[in-house]
Amino acid sequence: MNTATGAPDPQTIVQAADLSRRYGEGEAAVDALAGVSVGFPGGRFAAIMGPSGSGKSTLMHILAGLDRPTSGVVRVGGVDLTDLSDQDLTQLRRDRIGFIFQTFNLLPVLDARENILLPLSIAGKKPDGEWFDLLIDTVGIRDRLSHRPAEMSGGQQQRVAVARALISRPTVVFADEPSGNLDSKASNDVLELLRHAVDDFGQTVVMVTHDAHAASFADRLLVLADGRIVHDGDAVTSEQALDLMKSVG
Amino acid sequence: MLPLVLRGFMQRKVRVVLTAIAIALGVALMAGTYILTDTINKSFASIFSVANRGNDVVISPTQNLGRETRSQTSPITDQMLAKVRATPGVSEAAGSIFTPGTFLDVHGKRLTNGGAPAFVASESPKRFESFKPVQGHLPLGPDEVAIDEQTAKRHTLKLGQQMIVAGSAPAKRYTIVGITRFGGGESFGGAGAAILTPTEAQRVVGLPGHFDQIEVAAESNPAHPVSANELRGRIRAALPATVDVRTGAQQAAKDTSDLESNLGFLRTFLLVFAYVALVVGAFIIFNTFSITVAQRTREFGLLRTLGASRRQIMQSVVYEGLLLGVVGAVLGLLGGLVLAPALNELFKAFGAELPHNGTVVETRTIVVSLLVGTVVTLLAGLPPALRATRVPPLAAMREGVEIPPRVLSARGLIVRLAIVLVIAVLLAALIGGSVAVSVVFAALWVGRLSARYRRGARPRRYRVVPALARGIGALVSWRGITGQLARENSIRQPGRTIITAAALTVGLALVAFVAVLADGTKATINQAVSRSFAGNLIVENSQSGNNEQGIPAVVAPALRRVPGVAGVAPIAFTEGRLKGSSSNVRITAIEPSTFGQVYRVEWKKGSNATLLGLGKDGTILTKSYADSKHLKVGQTISVLTPTDKHIALTVRGIASDNARLLGDLTITLPLAREAFGQRDDALNFVAYSQGASNAQVQPAVNRLLAASFPQTRSRTAAQFKQDQASQINTLLALIYVLLALSVIVSLFGIVNTLILSIYERTRELGMLRAIGTSRRQIRQMIRYESVITALIGGVFGLVIGVVGALLVTTLALSDSGYVQSIPVGTLAILLVVAALAGLLAAQLPARRAARLDMLQALASE
Ligand SMILES: Nc1ncnc2c1ncn2[C@@H]1O[C@H](COP(=O)(O)OP(=O)(O)OP(=O)(O)O)[C@@H](O)[C@H]1O
Ligand SMILES: [Mg+2]
Repeated sequence: MNTATGAPDPQTIVQAADLSRRYGEGEAAVDALAGVSVGFPGGRFAAIMGPSGSGKSTLMHILAGLDRPTSGVVRVGGVDLTDLSDQDLTQLRRDRIGFIFQTFNLLPVLDARENILLPLSIAGKKPDGEWFDLLIDTVGIRDRLSHRPAEMSGGQQQRVAVARALISRPTVVFADEPSGNLDSKASNDVLELLRHAVDDFGQTVVMVTHDAHAASFADRLLVLADGRIVHDGDAVTSEQALDLMKSVG
Repeated sequence: MLPLVLRGFMQRKVRVVLTAIAIALGVALMAGTYILTDTINKSFASIFSVANRGNDVVISPTQNLGRETRSQTSPITDQMLAKVRATPGVSEAAGSIFTPGTFLDVHGKRLTNGGAPAFVASESPKRFESFKPVQGHLPLGPDEVAIDEQTAKRHTLKLGQQMIVAGSAPAKRYTIVGITRFGGGESFGGAGAAILTPTEAQRVVGLPGHFDQIEVAAESNPAHPVSANELRGRIRAALPATVDVRTGAQQAAKDTSDLESNLGFLRTFLLVFAYVALVVGAFIIFNTFSITVAQRTREFGLLRTLGASRRQIMQSVVYEGLLLGVVGAVLGLLGGLVLAPALNELFKAFGAELPHNGTVVETRTIVVSLLVGTVVTLLAGLPPALRATRVPPLAAMREGVEIPPRVLSARGLIVRLAIVLVIAVLLAALIGGSVAVSVVFAALWVGRLSARYRRGARPRRYRVVPALARGIGALVSWRGITGQLARENSIRQPGRTIITAAALTVGLALVAFVAVLADGTKATINQAVSRSFAGNLIVENSQSGNNEQGIPAVVAPALRRVPGVAGVAPIAFTEGRLKGSSSNVRITAIEPSTFGQVYRVEWKKGSNATLLGLGKDGTILTKSYADSKHLKVGQTISVLTPTDKHIALTVRGIASDNARLLGDLTITLPLAREAFGQRDDALNFVAYSQGASNAQVQPAVNRLLAASFPQTRSRTAAQFKQDQASQINTLLALIYVLLALSVIVSLFGIVNTLILSIYERTRELGMLRAIGTSRRQIRQMIRYESVITALIGGVFGLVIGVVGALLVTTLALSDSGYVQSIPVGTLAILLVVAALAGLLAAQLPARRAARLDMLQALASE
């Protein structure tokens, strides 16, 4: 199974080899992924695009250990996820992985500060005050810290979510359409934040998106179609991304 | 996790309170029961200690048949008193009387309160005096009486007025010369006391020369000090074994412990209802948690993606259960403080007034209430908590992620077993509850229940619910779209609906159960009386069911002289104990020459001639008793009597008796008087002569009774049946009131479920409003849904209750001649009540649903 891209590489944070994922059985079976091999090096910002139903979310869930592939292997930071128990996966999520969701997913009963610190309190870790300060200034919600999600705009909520994803200094942050529910201004803010995290904090980010403009913030663009990678290349402009999409579309 | 749980808790106050109340009501009844019974105990203990204060030594009859049984003839005599007085170290000794009697005003109206007892007591030397006059003085002559303050107050009796005291001797008028207070307390268990001079008291209770008790004071000469214990030893040595000799302190302790054992029944009776309410509460907690766990799937998924372990998810739900349990238990404990006096008022309303000074909250009450409330809540929340652990992290990402079926590990299996065990225990409590309830009925009249007791099946078929909901829904769907939607909503989550309904089912099943049992009991009494009673009148104590007091033995000869009366058959009840046994047998004493004329005995072995040949050494057994002890005609048994005699009885006949007039053993009245100390009768059956009409004879009988025996009354068979029925109805009403609490708890369950499902359907409701549904229609829809749920619970409850009662009576009571009867009217009313309850429960949720802001509802995700 050592394909060209599947070989372990110390620089590669997330490594997938020959992933396939089949939903259902028999006639009705759907192959959401059909042999995907890809590696994500550290400190880079990768965007995954593709038409609806092409398997983007499925790939991301599997890479993050939220779902298991039908076949193939995923390594995160050198750890093979295949045989990890629920407890080990839980530990992996605490130490290595951060998430940003399309629908923000903040806990309504907690204020912004508590939401940001939530992963640490779950893991029973002490927050690093300087890091926290740096983060909230970076995402720019210092004056909203005591507000509840219901009292914040979508853009503000998503910025809180970005801070929450970064607070535990994860090895990799996965973002599924982080700008999907935001207007262009708020969307720009969030994407710039991610860019900033990669450039200034050396964060690794994998982002799924529909939006060609969003993709233009990344260092690398992968395009999925029918569960396969059909394009894997360097940074592009929005126009180029749009053209790429049209060609697979 | 705890801070997060606390946070959520504070923000859902309404729901928390509603859910906590579900458990709090059960805890309140439990705490209230403990507080009430402890308070009563304590009040009595202080009364007893005051009453025994001046007594260094107390002499009372030995109770060889257990503390419940006492001979009607006290073994304590004048001679014994003389012996006590002659004992060195005794400075003063006095005999006293304290025997049940009846007081009436000059018009023959009873001066006691409901079922509370009244006592004829004797005046004692000052140092032993338990009754302190607060007005006037104690009686000095045979025509004077002092009455207790409470009775005086209740009937506004004043010094100088006249009243009647009746005991075993014919009634007599006395002048009230004093108003007294017992032992310094306000009330002696609601009982009244009429104090007469000792000789007069002895005459009234029919035992000249006898006392109920002797009180002794020790010599206080400091030169020859004698301790109470030492004196007790000396007196003990001087007296026969038919009496107990105790120090004053020992006597007070014994009086208190006797009372505690009596109150134990009351406590158990009330606790049963508390347990039922707790079981219902547990259903609601379980349901509420199940719903909230389902609603929070996404949140749990999110926490999992953020690194929460299964254990942490479990903890977060369990902590919530714990907090809720503590809140519920504390609310319950506080509720108990309110409920305790309310329970007392309830008993007062049903004719049992007990003294309760202050409020006694024992540590045990607090510990047990808090523990039970918390643990029940915790356990009920455990299955949903386990379910929450199976929410996959993916639930945060995708809509509609299913919770995967559990894979059973060894640990999971143990947890599961534990849950099943707990549920089994809860069900056992529930079943125990129904047993206890049925025992109450049994105790009333039907007699002892056999141990073979099974509870009816509990249908748990979810499929039934949609069917039922459709059926019931059809009733409301003529109301158009709102009715239809309500119907569909109630079958959307059948599991949820059935558990919500099940809470109501438990309460209503028990109500139906007792209703059917009571109706059958009435039918059984009616049939048995019609079948067995061959006379025309029954003369009994006018405090119906008061066998302890009964009627004086002199009534029967007096009745025989009334024109038109052909025969009078006196009947008495007593007890004895078979050699080698530790429990008592019920014994009926009859007059052989008259009994056969007024009662149709169903002979298995023997005939009415057997009665005439019974003699002082013969007995008749009931078939069930003979069977259980494998006794046959001709065998001889040895019986210990309440007066401490051992007598040998030969079995002469065996009869079955559905009317339960005949005890395990039947003996002759002369034997009962001689060897059992039985003096009064319980009943007199009167037969008229040929051609005499009731219209003539009963009034004549009544005139005699009113003049000489105002504590008695005559009943025709029809009146007797009516009395029995109304007695059962009283008890039934009490049980209904106590079960109502469980029904109220289940209403909170309906409210809770509705609020939760409205919250869940916020979007849908917003949409309905957006397309033109009016607020009124929304309200209607919620109300219908509630009524459907309540009716499902009601129908199940009635079916289970009726089937359960029929099953129990078939299994346990069929050979005792129990007649089954179903009170259709009552059951129909119950169903209507269930529907109305559903409507009531829907008020708050319906208003909430109608108030939803349309825009916000649509925006909510
Ligand atoms: N739980 C599931 N059961 C069955 N089929 C599924 C399931 N989840 C996803 N699929 C199918 O797998 C395929 C890939 O789905 P996926 O969600 O990964 O697509 P996507 O690229 O993220 O699409 P979108 O851009 O619309 O979010 C689709 O055809 C989808 O219908
Ligand atoms: Mg997707």
